[in-house]
Amino acid sequence: MRHINTQLSRYGYILNLGVMGVLLAGILRVVFQLYADGLYPLASALSAITVFLALVYLRRRFTPLRWFAIGVGLAMLFTLYPILYTFYLSVTNMGSGHLMTKQQAIDRLESQLYMPEGGKTYGWAAFRSPDEAYALWLLPEEGPGLLARPGQPLEEAMPGEDGIGAPDQDGIPLTIDGYERLAQNQVVPIISALGAIDFGEPPDTVRIRSLREAVTLKPKYQYDPDRDVMVDQETGTVYRPVEGTFTSDDGETLTPGYIVYVGLHHFERFLGNERFREPLIKIFLWNVSFAFASVFLSFAVGLVVTLLFEGLPGSRVIRALLIIPWPIPVLVSILIWRSMLNPDLGFVAPLLESLFGSSPAWFQNAMWTRVAVILVNVWLSYPYFYVISAGAIRSIPHEIYDAAVVDGASAWGKFQHITLPLLLRILMPLLIASFTFNFNNFNVIYIFNFGLPPMPNTIVPMGQTDILISFVYRLAFITSNVTDYGLAAAITVMLFLLISLMVVFQARFTNLFREAD
Amino acid sequence: MENTRNTPASRTVLLDHLRTGTWVGYLTRYLIAGMLIVFAVAPALWIVSASLNPAKSLVGGTLWPENPSFVNYRELVTNDFFPYLTWFGNSLKIATITTLCTVTITCLAGYSLSRFRFKGRHSFMIAILILNVFPAILGMVAIFTTIQQLGLYVDALGLDKHVSLILIYTAGSMGINVLMVKAYIDTIPVELDESALVDGASPWQTFRHIILPIMTPIVITIGVLTFIAAYGDFVIARVLLKSSDQLTVMVGLMLFQTDRFDQDFGMITAGAVLAAIPVILIYIPLQRFVIDGLTAGSVKG
Repeated sequence: MRHINTQLSRYGYILNLGVMGVLLAGILRVVFQLYADGLYPLASALSAITVFLALVYLRRRFTPLRWFAIGVGLAMLFTLYPILYTFYLSVTNMGSGHLMTKQQAIDRLESQLYMPEGGKTYGWAAFRSPDEAYALWLLPEEGPGLLARPGQPLEEAMPGEDGIGAPDQDGIPLTIDGYERLAQNQVVPIISALGAIDFGEPPDTVRIRSLREAVTLKPKYQYDPDRDVMVDQETGTVYRPVEGTFTSDDGETLTPGYIVYVGLHHFERFLGNERFREPLIKIFLWNVSFAFASVFLSFAVGLVVTLLFEGLPGSRVIRALLIIPWPIPVLVSILIWRSMLNPDLGFVAPLLESLFGSSPAWFQNAMWTRVAVILVNVWLSYPYFYVISAGAIRSIPHEIYDAAVVDGASAWGKFQHITLPLLLRILMPLLIASFTFNFNNFNVIYIFNFGLPPMPNTIVPMGQTDILISFVYRLAFITSNVTDYGLAAAITVMLFLLISLMVVFQARFTNLFREAD
Repeated sequence: MENTRNTPASRTVLLDHLRTGTWVGYLTRYLIAGMLIVFAVAPALWIVSASLNPAKSLVGGTLWPENPSFVNYRELVTNDFFPYLTWFGNSLKIATITTLCTVTITCLAGYSLSRFRFKGRHSFMIAILILNVFPAILGMVAIFTTIQQLGLYVDALGLDKHVSLILIYTAGSMGINVLMVKAYIDTIPVELDESALVDGASPWQTFRHIILPIMTPIVITIGVLTFIAAYGDFVIARVLLKSSDQLTVMVGLMLFQTDRFDQDFGMITAGAVLAAIPVILIYIPLQRFVIDGLTAGSVKG
């Protein structure tokens, strides 16, 4: 028995080690490439994970960690690293126009080509493969012909050898294996498409200039690492790095730019500038009110459901009906409300109009949008509060009420002096957690009305019902052509700090870390 | 105490209280119940009725369509603009795989944390708790840019790929679930696995044949919670997925609604009802497990 077991676990270990070895080799390959391209944060995160996994599988004392090493690796990459990377992003200029590392931007610029005056010229003929790939046969002024295909080095080849057919009178092969030769009249209609293709591989890249001539291209820019400048090979213009963009003395800039450290620039942008700070404070205050109102009202409704129908005939049916919103996915629920309140399609507007003669502009008027998102959120979350307070009430010992009855307490008195304080004490951790959750309740805000209506006269686009996290989303993903990841990250950093404060607050009410015992 | 309660004086007070309270009290309570039920049920009822309404534009007055039909549903699965069934399949696939990964990882990790003593075990759990405090949504900018960068080097881990979404969901749902599993295994007597170990079973065999079968309730709880969360996620999927065929049903519905609200209102309502069905189907028989999971922290302390 014992013998068999060790055998099995040894095979298991070897198998495990094999899988892990392949995985680590794969990660290491990516790490080297990332490092070469200058993506240092991601390269170091992956290196840390590699070291961790290697240690776990090579050192005997880490054996218990083998049970979940992969999970820890995943969490390091997708939970821990994003937090650290957000802090890093908040001090960079990453955003539209500055999405690459300096090395990537240099590589990109250096791969741009231009057609130099007096470069080497060739006569040419075009070939096409059945899958629409093109190849050129190049005829230099002297020497053997060359076969040129996009992305591959030029090949010296002799007609009549290696799949290349016999030459015609100009020295151009009549056939090439896998390709069909194009006649002049076939070439003319596609000449502009052909002219956009770079044949060959840098530095020997060839492009068609006319129906007769193809020329060798040269790199347009060359980076000079000693002076840290980019030089235009065609005009000789020198571009110096200025805040993540290569800029000439005349102020001309090269795209793409690259990511550089900008210090606390983003924080100054929204804390130091009154026109930014004031609307941001508005967003913050609404954010706090939204979270507070959501928790308070949902909890209140939940309590009503828990307490008010106790002992009422039919209370089971009532509660079963009242829990209906719970299993409906959040997005679907919000879409339902959005349609219901829609003035043209929903039933709410006609109903209110027949009752009161008018119906609020749920999507255009900021005040009514706020009312609506809180209403929707209460609808979504009161069943949860009902369930947790019903659970908590069951844990209140019954003797306490007996004593109160003796003292002649009324139903309201019992609720006010016994039930509520005890409930609050039991549920405080969940209430605070719920506040934190609603403080970042992106879904309700964004799906209901995208955080709109817009706030007038702001430097960056903001919505009147935006909360901080939906504002972050707006900066990073909505605002077309001016995404600003650095600024979005800086605001997220503020959110991290706010949430840390809430957690400290929460820790005062509960032994937050008791689970870790 | 029994004596005091049975004295005639207090009994009269109670009866008086009930007698005056009954009629008005019951009526008020039924009234409040009625209003709450309308608030709770009307949206759900309305969306079902709208989805069964064959008329292109709804007349706001009628709550139930005069000639209900499934024409909106048929149009939903056959229309040329939006591959609804593909989205639906994507969502089920992503949520199912995420659930399997999460359950596997959390069960193994929970067992290890509960049964083995090793250096760093305590700080490891503290780290989970601290990380778990920050909602995953805060990482959206960082996750987006990271996935964008990773995609340049590893094709399957780039934007618009389900694999990256599944890994992110799995990583995000592990934290607190690991601790739940650990707490559950803590309640299983250690003598049970010790006797197996004495008989010569390996830790793996002990886990597989002794512990795992007893763990079914917590496995179901975590499975259901993970599935519902992954299936219902909007923002991470919205940020990472781009091409129409890759979308999840939640992202698809949202785009659908934003783009073609007026033209295809019937189809959108049908899409919303269909999208809710998997969760409701899972929820009804397994409600107890959902509630157990969500209230785990509240009553225990």
